[in-house]
Amino acid sequence: MKKRVMALTLSLSLVAGLLSGCGGAAETPAPESKSPDPAPVESKAPPAPVENLTAVQKIIKEAEGMTMEELAKKAIEESNGKTFFGVGNSSRGKSALPLFIDYLKTIDPNYSMEFEWQQPKNNKIFDQLTADSLKPEGTFAMTLIQDGNQIESKMVQTGILDTYIPKEWAEANGTTADAVDGYLALQTLNKVFMYNNTGSKTYDNCWDFVAEGEHGLYMDIDSEIVGKNFLYMLTADKYAGWLKEAFNALSADEQAYFQPTIKAMESEASDLGLGADGAYALAWIKLWVESYNAQTDDGPICNTLVDKSATDQFGLLVYSKLRSVEESASVSKNNINVAAYDDGYTGIGGYGYCHYLFVTDNSPLPWTACAFIAYMTCTVDGFSAWGKDMGGYSSNPTVAAGTEEQYGHSKGGMAEDGTTVEFECKNDRGYEWWTNEGKLVLEDPEYCADVAFTVGSWVEMLTKYSAG
Amino acid sequence: MNDTLQASKGTILLNKIKTFFSKPYNVILLLFGLVVTVSTIAPIVAILKDTFTIHPGTIDQHLTGMASGYTTVNYIDLFTSRMAKTNLWTPLLNTVWLAVGTCVVSILFGGVFAFLITRTNMAWRKYLSSIFIFPYIMPQWTLAVVWQNLFNSNAVTGTSNGLLASLFGINMPIWWCKGLFPSLMVLGLHYAPFAYILIGGIFRNMDANLEEAATILDTPRWKIAFRVTLPMVKPAILSTILLVFGSSMGSYPVPHYLGLTTLSTKYVSMNSKYTGEASILAIIMMVFGVVIMLMNQMSLRSRKSYTTVTGKSGQISKINLGKVGKYIIALVLVVVTFFTSIFPIVSFAFETFLPNPGDYSFLYTGDTSNLTTKWWTTDENVSENGMYGQKGILHNEMIWKAFKGTMMVSVACALLAGTIGTLIGYAVSKNRRGKWANYVYNMAFLPYLMPSIAVGAAFFILFSNQHINLFNTYTLLIITGVIKYIPFASRTSLNSMLQLSGEIEEAAIIQDVPWIKRMTRIIIPIQKSSIISGYMLPFMTCLRELSLFLLLCTQGFILSTTLDYFDEMGLYAFSSGINLILIVTILVFNTLVNKLTGASLDEGIGGN
Repeated sequence: MKKRVMALTLSLSLVAGLLSGCGGAAETPAPESKSPDPAPVESKAPPAPVENLTAVQKIIKEAEGMTMEELAKKAIEESNGKTFFGVGNSSRGKSALPLFIDYLKTIDPNYSMEFEWQQPKNNKIFDQLTADSLKPEGTFAMTLIQDGNQIESKMVQTGILDTYIPKEWAEANGTTADAVDGYLALQTLNKVFMYNNTGSKTYDNCWDFVAEGEHGLYMDIDSEIVGKNFLYMLTADKYAGWLKEAFNALSADEQAYFQPTIKAMESEASDLGLGADGAYALAWIKLWVESYNAQTDDGPICNTLVDKSATDQFGLLVYSKLRSVEESASVSKNNINVAAYDDGYTGIGGYGYCHYLFVTDNSPLPWTACAFIAYMTCTVDGFSAWGKDMGGYSSNPTVAAGTEEQYGHSKGGMAEDGTTVEFECKNDRGYEWWTNEGKLVLEDPEYCADVAFTVGSWVEMLTKYSAG
Repeated sequence: MNDTLQASKGTILLNKIKTFFSKPYNVILLLFGLVVTVSTIAPIVAILKDTFTIHPGTIDQHLTGMASGYTTVNYIDLFTSRMAKTNLWTPLLNTVWLAVGTCVVSILFGGVFAFLITRTNMAWRKYLSSIFIFPYIMPQWTLAVVWQNLFNSNAVTGTSNGLLASLFGINMPIWWCKGLFPSLMVLGLHYAPFAYILIGGIFRNMDANLEEAATILDTPRWKIAFRVTLPMVKPAILSTILLVFGSSMGSYPVPHYLGLTTLSTKYVSMNSKYTGEASILAIIMMVFGVVIMLMNQMSLRSRKSYTTVTGKSGQISKINLGKVGKYIIALVLVVVTFFTSIFPIVSFAFETFLPNPGDYSFLYTGDTSNLTTKWWTTDENVSENGMYGQKGILHNEMIWKAFKGTMMVSVACALLAGTIGTLIGYAVSKNRRGKWANYVYNMAFLPYLMPSIAVGAAFFILFSNQHINLFNTYTLLIITGVIKYIPFASRTSLNSMLQLSGEIEEAAIIQDVPWIKRMTRIIIPIQKSSIISGYMLPFMTCLRELSLFLLLCTQGFILSTTLDYFDEMGLYAFSSGINLILIVTILVFNTLVNKLTGASLDEGIGGN
């Protein structure tokens, strides 16, 4: 009997231990069932009448008419002593939150708020937000998220995320919240073509990057979906036109190499419903996908290119990666050139994509989420977590100017005397330059979502280059 | 006249039930049978359902024109579309090659090593035994990173030069640097200690009487090896194949870093746009697990049982390699293990002092200004300092928070999985011919045979719904880890219990010694090394597990996801530092266990 009781007790205790777990972080009570009610896929839903707005949307509507300080007071009232959960593709939300809390403390010195910032990997942010949206009241108050394509199709059309436009942001951009048709971007980041200059090779046209034998270093488009969005965007009329212009600037010999591919793409472009220059875009994409050397991240690409042994290698990578390169015997920022900065360079200089800010539609702290979003987009301090580094451009022109004044990224490559150029590549020419002279291809979420299963499926059919 | 005392049917049934429950192993089997059934079947059902679910913003929505509901379109598209070769068949073939190759490499390397350590008089066995398990301690993809740092070259891989190219101008061919070969080598080296532990355990406990009898009968040595020794270690070899096949199949980071497309890497890359189809890939991986289990069942039916530990005295006879031979073979192994175990650690340590990731300027110049301690000591992340916005390892809150999380999950998984697995192994060994016992054992074993990434995906889906959302909680990691790691303990426990002759416990039963006392005073002490392996293996595996937890939490939550984050970002100083922390932690625990119990992972096999 004794042994039976012993065995039973031991087994039961283990089973109980297993089933109950050992106490984890952020456990949430089982909520009541609530199914998402996705909006039609075909077109973006028109603005709902006020009476049809969700509770969070009503708060957003109200918040859009408030000043930063009024909003801050609401946030203090709502979140004092509570915990704020945010989730984002950028880890720097974690750096921005303490600054935000400090700001709220300037209004109410007794204010306190705990916070947790999560940065999921491998596209999990969408699964995480989707799972959280099923609860009547979510865990996450807001998100900072990239990849306009998936945001549009998985988050906005399904009603999981809501856009809030801060009053000061709208004013700085010469508009009003109601007139803004799109998402609120915190910043635009640019991925730019850079090449190692320790050899003799130069790249003076964007078609050079897909020439015979070239294998640019690039994050695998299946790992980082915004990389795929870059390819989708090239098929838009504006950017296909840029590619055609660049093609026309090539020598006859160079044109002869690319011409058969462009010719072969004409029927494909027609089938995919692309514009007149679509064949140029498809040809460039085909040659790029079939040649790029996939890497796990922009970090290793940068580490490679700045090393003197990477002679004649090039890559398309986030510009800001240059910020942390230390000079040594074999590594130097002067070992690389930013292609678009070279005199005589023709064609696209890189790709610009955004970090967008949203309030979750079941946000537990909607006022605080709006206030935090306003703080990041409307103040230099709020943006400083990103603004202190080159290559990230605030969507608020006032903040962008203030950031440049404070951090001087346009002279980031100058020696201490302020006039001697020490590292040419680090003199960031700014958003205006990049989007005009620099010919930055900019992400358009709606366009990306529209072509994701036309151009997107075509891209997936291409045979990716494999160094192995 | 003929009236005899006849018990009623109810009484007979009650007595039968009483008799059934009077045996502790029946209680154990019943309880854990229910638990493992639910914990194994529920995730499979969840992921199966996901293959039919329409996911907004993905291919199934595009093809059906519906934003919700159920469809079979994911199956149709995956198997019949123009993308079938790219998305299914090629990754599937690569996965099978990788799993088979990994088994071959690990068993050959680990098995031969186990034999040399346990059955010969080779020199420096204690050192070699300790050092051999290091690749298993380290996260598998860190060996892949070391491989890249060694063999990559500008001329061949189109990157900056690795050590071999920059110091000696040697450019290794592309098949050596990328794809199947390096992937199976890295995984094979990683799992070789696994083969060593399992096969070595049998070698060590094997009574030499059988071999000696064969020797007395003048049987040739090769014949003894094939007819006596190998059949006795066959269960361990099969165990190794079972465990390594599924593990290598479900490995995500190694093929990811070394550029091989497998079902695991495809699962991750397809998950955003082809969510339902990715779940089908996970199901396919699980099917492999079930097939392996059935094959194991078939082999079990035909397998003879060998009791190797009896109440009688037994000893191992060691093969004499000769006065010179024992040093030459040891020297060869010292060199080999230097590259598989010591070099990666030295490389990790060195990496944490480089000014830039992968910047070996110091080696060319000898100038110490090309070294730095900033990756360890920087205590702020406001000024840039070339730290990519991070504080140094010693001051980095994210790393130390992740360390605490990892320790909590690993200890909990080891204790729960180790105890449950040991009890299941014991109970099954006592009732080996019973159908329920076999069912419980197989059901408990099934999650291990299923690739980690698929198990992780299934648990993610199971616990991410409107009723319960455990994403990014330690509870979820512990539940998943325990279910996945029970087989470590149940396997080693069953193997060791089967070696144990029934007469030992029977003697105690005759003396009316209670079950708990029999377990703690007789059975566990005799098979201490195997049982401790059943705790240490889940602990060590859990410490650096990535594939299983990849989909269940964010980076910074546990050390492996943090390490992978830094590796992917190319911040090798941080990932190398974390690796060192992991290695030191495991060594400390190994030593502690050794001091407290007198047994440890390697010493149980051949350290002594």
